[in-house]
Amino acid sequence: MSVEHRDLSEQELADFERKLRIALQHRDAPLGMKQRVLARARERRQAQHGRWWMLQRIAASALLAAVFGGFAVYRQVEERSLERKKGQQAREQILTALRITDKTLDRVNERLTQGSRSNLGFQTFR
Amino acid sequence: MRKPLNWQPEFEQLVEEHQSMVFSLAWRMTGDRGLAEELAQDVLLELDRNLGKMKSADHARFWLRQVTVHRSADALRRKQAKAASLGTDLWVELEERHVLVEPRDIDDESPLGRRIEELLAGLPESQRAALVLRYQEDLTPEEIAVTLKAPVATVKSQLQRGLKLLRMQASQTLKEYVRGT
Repeated sequence: MSVEHRDLSEQELADFERKLRIALQHRDAPLGMKQRVLARARERRQAQHGRWWMLQRIAASALLAAVFGGFAVYRQVEERSLERKKGQQAREQILTALRITDKTLDRVNERLTQGSRSNLGFQTFR
Repeated sequence: MRKPLNWQPEFEQLVEEHQSMVFSLAWRMTGDRGLAEELAQDVLLELDRNLGKMKSADHARFWLRQVTVHRSADALRRKQAKAASLGTDLWVELEERHVLVEPRDIDDESPLGRRIEELLAGLPESQRAALVLRYQEDLTPEEIAVTLKAPVATVKSQLQRGLKLLRMQASQTLKEYVRGT
Protein backbone atom coordinates (compact mmCIF):
# COMPACT_ATOMS: atom_id res chain seq x y z
CA MET A 1 0.00 0.00 0.00
CA SER A 2 2.69 2.43 1.06
CA VAL A 3 4.82 1.37 -1.93
CA GLU A 4 1.85 1.99 -4.21
CA HIS A 5 1.28 5.36 -2.53
CA ARG A 6 4.98 6.27 -2.93
CA ASP A 7 4.92 5.22 -6.58
CA LEU A 8 1.84 7.28 -7.15
CA SER A 9 3.47 10.29 -5.47
CA GLU A 10 6.61 9.91 -7.54
CA GLN A 11 4.55 9.56 -10.67
CA GLU A 12 2.53 12.62 -9.69
CA LEU A 13 5.68 14.51 -8.92
CA ALA A 14 7.26 13.62 -12.28
CA ASP A 15 4.05 14.62 -14.01
CA PHE A 16 3.96 17.91 -12.12
CA GLU A 17 7.62 18.58 -12.92
CA ARG A 18 6.88 17.98 -16.62
CA LYS A 19 3.97 20.42 -16.47
CA LEU A 20 6.16 22.90 -14.65
CA ARG A 21 8.80 22.67 -17.39
CA ILE A 22 6.15 23.30 -20.03
CA ALA A 23 4.64 26.19 -18.05
CA LEU A 24 8.06 27.76 -17.54
CA GLN A 25 9.19 27.83 -21.14
CA HIS A 26 10.91 31.02 -22.23
CA ARG A 27 8.53 33.83 -22.99
CA ASP A 28 9.14 35.92 -26.06
CA ALA A 29 10.81 39.21 -25.27
CA PRO A 30 8.58 42.26 -25.83
CA LEU A 31 8.48 43.50 -29.41
CA GLY A 32 11.24 45.97 -30.11
CA MET A 33 13.12 45.24 -26.90
CA LYS A 34 16.24 44.25 -28.84
CA GLN A 35 16.11 47.48 -30.85
CA ARG A 36 15.66 49.52 -27.67
CA VAL A 37 18.61 47.77 -26.01
CA LEU A 38 20.81 48.26 -29.07
CA ALA A 39 19.78 51.93 -29.33
CA ARG A 40 20.61 52.51 -25.65
CA ALA A 41 23.93 50.71 -26.07
CA ARG A 42 24.71 52.88 -29.10
CA GLU A 43 23.80 56.03 -27.14
CA ARG A 44 26.01 54.91 -24.27
CA ARG A 45 28.90 54.20 -26.62
CA GLN A 46 28.48 57.56 -28.33
CA ALA A 47 28.37 59.33 -24.96
CA GLN A 48 31.44 57.36 -23.90
CA HIS A 49 33.13 58.22 -27.20
CA GLY A 50 32.16 61.88 -26.65
CA ARG A 51 33.60 61.79 -23.15
CA TRP A 52 36.76 60.12 -24.47
CA TRP A 53 37.02 62.73 -27.24
CA MET A 54 36.55 65.54 -24.71
CA LEU A 55 39.18 64.00 -22.42
CA GLN A 56 41.55 63.73 -25.36
CA ARG A 57 40.97 67.39 -26.22
CA ILE A 58 41.51 68.45 -22.62
CA ALA A 59 44.68 66.34 -22.45
CA ALA A 60 45.93 67.78 -25.75
CA SER A 61 45.17 71.33 -24.55
CA ALA A 62 46.94 70.66 -21.27
CA LEU A 63 49.92 69.25 -23.15
CA LEU A 64 50.07 72.25 -25.47
CA ALA A 65 49.76 74.64 -22.52
CA ALA A 66 52.53 72.77 -20.74
CA VAL A 67 54.76 72.87 -23.85
CA PHE A 68 54.19 76.59 -24.47
CA GLY A 69 54.40 77.43 -20.77
CA GLY A 70 57.59 75.43 -20.50
CA PHE A 71 59.02 77.19 -23.52
CA ALA A 72 58.11 80.59 -22.09
CA VAL A 73 59.68 79.73 -18.75
CA TYR A 74 62.75 78.39 -20.56
CA ARG A 75 63.02 81.61 -22.56
CA GLN A 76 62.68 83.67 -19.40
CA VAL A 77 65.34 81.64 -17.60
CA GLU A 78 67.58 81.83 -20.67
CA GLU A 79 67.13 85.63 -20.86
CA ARG A 80 67.87 86.03 -17.18
CA SER A 81 70.96 83.88 -17.52
CA LEU A 82 72.11 85.95 -20.50
CA GLU A 83 71.49 89.15 -18.57
CA ARG A 84 73.37 87.76 -15.60
CA LYS A 85 76.27 86.85 -17.88
CA LYS A 86 76.25 90.30 -19.40
CA GLY A 87 76.14 91.87 -15.95
CA GLN A 88 79.00 89.70 -14.85
CA GLN A 89 81.01 90.65 -17.95
CA ALA A 90 80.29 94.33 -17.31
CA ARG A 91 81.32 93.91 -13.69
CA GLU A 92 84.51 92.22 -14.76
CA GLN A 93 85.18 94.99 -17.27
CA ILE A 94 84.64 97.61 -14.57
CA LEU A 95 86.91 95.69 -12.21
CA THR A 96 89.58 95.48 -14.94
CA ALA A 97 89.19 99.21 -15.61
CA LEU A 98 89.43 99.90 -11.89
CA ARG A 99 92.52 97.71 -11.64
CA ILE A 100 94.09 99.55 -14.61
CA THR A 101 93.17 102.91 -13.07
CA ASP A 102 94.54 101.76 -9.74
CA LYS A 103 97.83 100.72 -11.33
CA THR A 104 98.05 103.95 -13.34
CA LEU A 105 97.38 106.01 -10.24
CA ASP A 106 100.00 103.97 -8.39
CA ARG A 107 102.53 104.74 -11.12
CA VAL A 108 101.60 108.44 -11.13
CA ASN A 109 101.90 108.48 -7.41
CA GLU A 110 105.26 106.72 -7.62
CA ARG A 111 106.58 109.24 -10.14
CA LEU A 112 105.27 112.11 -8.13
CA THR A 113 106.94 110.73 -5.06
CA GLN A 114 110.18 110.23 -6.99
CA GLY A 115 109.98 113.79 -8.44
CA SER A 116 109.39 115.40 -5.09
CA ARG A 117 112.28 113.43 -3.59
CA SER A 118 114.75 114.60 -6.30
CA ASN A 119 113.59 118.19 -5.87
CA LEU A 120 114.09 117.97 -2.17
CA GLY A 121 117.67 116.58 -2.61
CA PHE A 122 118.61 119.39 -4.94
CA GLN A 123 117.41 121.99 -2.52
CA THR A 124 119.34 120.37 0.35
CA PHE A 125 122.50 120.19 -1.76
CA ARG A 126 122.26 123.89 -2.64
CA MET B 1 43.12 32.20 -16.15
CA ARG B 2 43.88 33.33 -19.69
CA LYS B 3 41.17 34.64 -21.94
CA PRO B 4 40.70 32.56 -25.08
CA LEU B 5 41.46 34.78 -28.03
CA ASN B 6 39.10 33.01 -30.42
CA TRP B 7 35.85 34.04 -28.67
CA GLN B 8 34.91 37.57 -29.60
CA PRO B 9 31.30 38.18 -28.60
CA GLU B 10 29.03 40.22 -30.81
CA PHE B 11 26.67 42.21 -28.60
CA GLU B 12 23.75 42.17 -31.04
CA GLN B 13 24.01 38.41 -31.44
CA LEU B 14 24.10 37.91 -27.66
CA VAL B 15 21.01 40.11 -27.22
CA GLU B 16 19.18 38.17 -29.93
CA GLU B 17 20.15 34.87 -28.35
CA HIS B 18 19.45 35.65 -24.70
CA GLN B 19 16.80 38.37 -24.58
CA SER B 20 13.88 35.98 -24.05
CA MET B 21 15.77 34.08 -21.33
CA VAL B 22 16.67 37.28 -19.48
CA PHE B 23 13.17 38.69 -19.85
CA SER B 24 11.46 35.45 -18.77
CA LEU B 25 13.74 35.13 -15.76
CA ALA B 26 13.10 38.73 -14.71
CA TRP B 27 9.35 38.40 -15.23
CA ARG B 28 9.06 35.18 -13.26
CA MET B 29 11.22 36.57 -10.49
CA THR B 30 9.34 39.89 -10.18
CA GLY B 31 5.90 38.96 -11.51
CA ASP B 32 5.78 42.38 -13.14
CA ARG B 33 6.05 42.62 -16.92
CA GLY B 34 7.00 46.30 -17.04
CA LEU B 35 9.62 45.93 -14.35
CA ALA B 36 10.91 42.77 -16.05
CA GLU B 37 11.42 44.57 -19.35
CA GLU B 38 13.21 47.41 -17.60
CA LEU B 39 15.42 44.93 -15.73
CA ALA B 40 16.12 42.89 -18.87
CA GLN B 41 17.22 46.01 -20.73
CA ASP B 42 19.46 47.07 -17.83
CA VAL B 43 21.01 43.60 -17.58
CA LEU B 44 21.70 43.47 -21.33
CA LEU B 45 23.25 46.93 -21.21
CA GLU B 46 25.39 45.81 -18.31
CA LEU B 47 26.48 42.90 -20.50
CA ASP B 48 27.51 45.43 -23.13
CA ARG B 49 29.64 47.23 -20.54
CA ASN B 50 31.22 43.93 -19.44
CA LEU B 51 31.54 42.37 -22.89
CA GLY B 52 35.33 42.32 -22.69
CA LYS B 53 35.20 40.17 -19.55
CA MET B 54 33.19 37.36 -21.17
CA LYS B 55 35.36 34.30 -21.71
CA SER B 56 32.96 32.06 -23.63
CA ALA B 57 29.34 31.70 -24.74
CA ASP B 58 28.63 29.60 -21.63
CA HIS B 59 30.23 32.22 -19.41
CA ALA B 60 28.03 34.93 -20.95
CA ARG B 61 24.90 32.79 -20.38
CA PHE B 62 25.89 32.04 -16.78
CA TRP B 63 26.69 35.72 -16.17
CA LEU B 64 23.34 36.82 -17.60
CA ARG B 65 21.38 34.36 -15.43
CA GLN B 66 23.25 35.36 -12.29
CA VAL B 67 22.96 39.09 -12.85
CA THR B 68 19.28 38.85 -13.83
CA VAL B 69 18.37 36.87 -10.71
CA HIS B 70 20.25 39.26 -8.44
CA ARG B 71 18.93 42.42 -10.11
CA SER B 72 15.39 41.03 -9.95
CA ALA B 73 15.75 40.20 -6.26
CA ASP B 74 17.09 43.71 -5.59
CA ALA B 75 14.23 45.28 -7.55
CA LEU B 76 11.68 43.21 -5.65
CA ARG B 77 13.17 44.22 -2.31
CA ARG B 78 13.14 47.88 -3.31
CA LYS B 79 9.53 47.53 -4.42
CA GLN B 80 8.55 45.84 -1.15
CA ALA B 81 10.41 48.45 0.91
CA LYS B 82 8.64 51.20 -1.00
CA ALA B 83 5.30 49.49 -0.47
CA ALA B 84 6.07 49.05 3.25
CA SER B 85 7.01 52.71 3.60
CA LEU B 86 3.74 53.65 1.95
CA GLY B 87 1.91 51.36 4.36
CA THR B 88 0.85 48.81 1.74
CA ASP B 89 0.15 45.41 3.14
CA LEU B 90 2.44 42.61 1.87
CA TRP B 91 -0.51 40.39 1.07
CA VAL B 92 -2.07 43.12 -1.02
CA GLU B 93 1.29 43.43 -2.76
CA LEU B 94 1.39 39.69 -3.47
CA GLU B 95 -2.20 39.80 -4.67
CA GLU B 96 -1.28 42.63 -7.03
CA ARG B 97 1.62 40.59 -8.29
CA HIS B 98 -0.72 37.71 -9.06
CA VAL B 99 -2.88 40.05 -11.05
CA LEU B 100 0.16 41.46 -12.84
CA VAL B 101 1.15 38.07 -14.20
CA GLU B 102 -0.42 38.27 -17.62
CA PRO B 103 -1.74 35.18 -19.35
CA ARG B 104 0.06 34.09 -22.49
CA ASP B 105 -1.38 34.72 -25.86
CA ILE B 106 -1.15 31.06 -26.86
CA ASP B 107 -4.67 29.68 -27.12
CA ASP B 108 -3.80 26.07 -26.46
CA GLU B 109 -2.01 26.77 -23.19
CA SER B 110 -3.42 24.80 -20.28
CA PRO B 111 -5.13 26.71 -17.45
CA LEU B 112 -2.93 24.77 -15.04
CA GLY B 113 0.21 26.03 -16.75
CA ARG B 114 -1.04 29.59 -16.50
CA ARG B 115 -2.00 29.10 -12.88
CA ILE B 116 1.39 27.56 -12.07
CA GLU B 117 3.06 30.74 -13.26
CA GLU B 118 0.72 32.84 -11.14
CA LEU B 119 1.32 30.67 -8.07
CA LEU B 120 5.05 30.85 -8.63
CA ALA B 121 4.91 34.62 -8.20
CA GLY B 122 3.55 34.11 -4.67
CA LEU B 123 6.35 31.84 -3.48
CA PRO B 124 9.20 33.10 -1.27
CA GLU B 125 11.95 34.73 -3.31
CA SER B 126 14.64 32.08 -2.73
CA GLN B 127 12.29 29.18 -3.59
CA ARG B 128 11.03 31.00 -6.65
CA ALA B 129 14.58 31.66 -7.88
CA ALA B 130 15.57 28.01 -7.38
CA LEU B 131 12.43 26.71 -9.13
CA VAL B 132 12.72 29.08 -12.08
CA LEU B 133 16.37 28.20 -12.60
CA ARG B 134 15.58 24.49 -12.26
CA TYR B 135 12.52 24.28 -14.52
CA GLN B 136 12.91 27.25 -16.85
CA GLU B 137 16.66 27.08 -17.33
CA ASP B 138 16.99 23.33 -16.72
CA LEU B 139 19.94 23.80 -14.35
CA THR B 140 21.07 21.15 -11.89
CA PRO B 141 20.95 21.95 -8.15
CA GLU B 142 24.75 22.32 -8.26
CA GLU B 143 24.56 24.86 -11.09
CA ILE B 144 21.76 26.71 -9.28
CA ALA B 145 23.92 26.81 -6.13
CA VAL B 146 26.75 28.43 -8.11
CA THR B 147 24.37 30.92 -9.74
CA LEU B 148 22.70 31.90 -6.46
CA LYS B 149 25.98 31.69 -4.51
CA ALA B 150 24.28 29.39 -2.00
CA PRO B 151 25.14 25.93 -0.57
CA VAL B 152 23.87 22.98 -2.64
CA ALA B 153 21.99 21.57 0.37
CA THR B 154 20.11 24.85 0.78
CA VAL B 155 19.20 24.88 -2.90
CA LYS B 156 17.97 21.29 -2.76
CA SER B 157 15.84 22.09 0.26
CA GLN B 158 14.43 25.20 -1.41
CA LEU B 159 13.60 23.19 -4.52
CA GLN B 160 11.88 20.50 -2.49
CA ARG B 161 9.88 22.95 -0.39
CA GLY B 162 9.00 25.16 -3.32
CA LEU B 163 7.92 22.24 -5.44
CA LYS B 164 5.80 20.81 -2.62
CA LEU B 165 4.12 24.14 -1.97
CA LEU B 166 3.52 24.78 -5.62
CA ARG B 167 2.13 21.32 -6.24
CA MET B 168 -0.20 21.61 -3.27
CA GLN B 169 -1.53 24.96 -4.48
CA ALA B 170 -1.72 23.77 -8.08
CA SER B 171 -3.68 20.63 -7.21
CA GLN B 172 -6.12 22.79 -5.28
CA THR B 173 -6.47 24.96 -8.38
CA LEU B 174 -6.94 21.93 -10.58
CA LYS B 175 -9.76 20.71 -8.35
CA GLU B 176 -11.37 24.14 -8.56
CA TYR B 177 -10.89 24.12 -12.32
CA VAL B 178 -12.43 20.63 -12.67
CA ARG B 179 -15.33 21.67 -10.44
CA GLY B 180 -15.77 24.78 -12.49
CA THR B 181 -15.94 22.99 -15.85
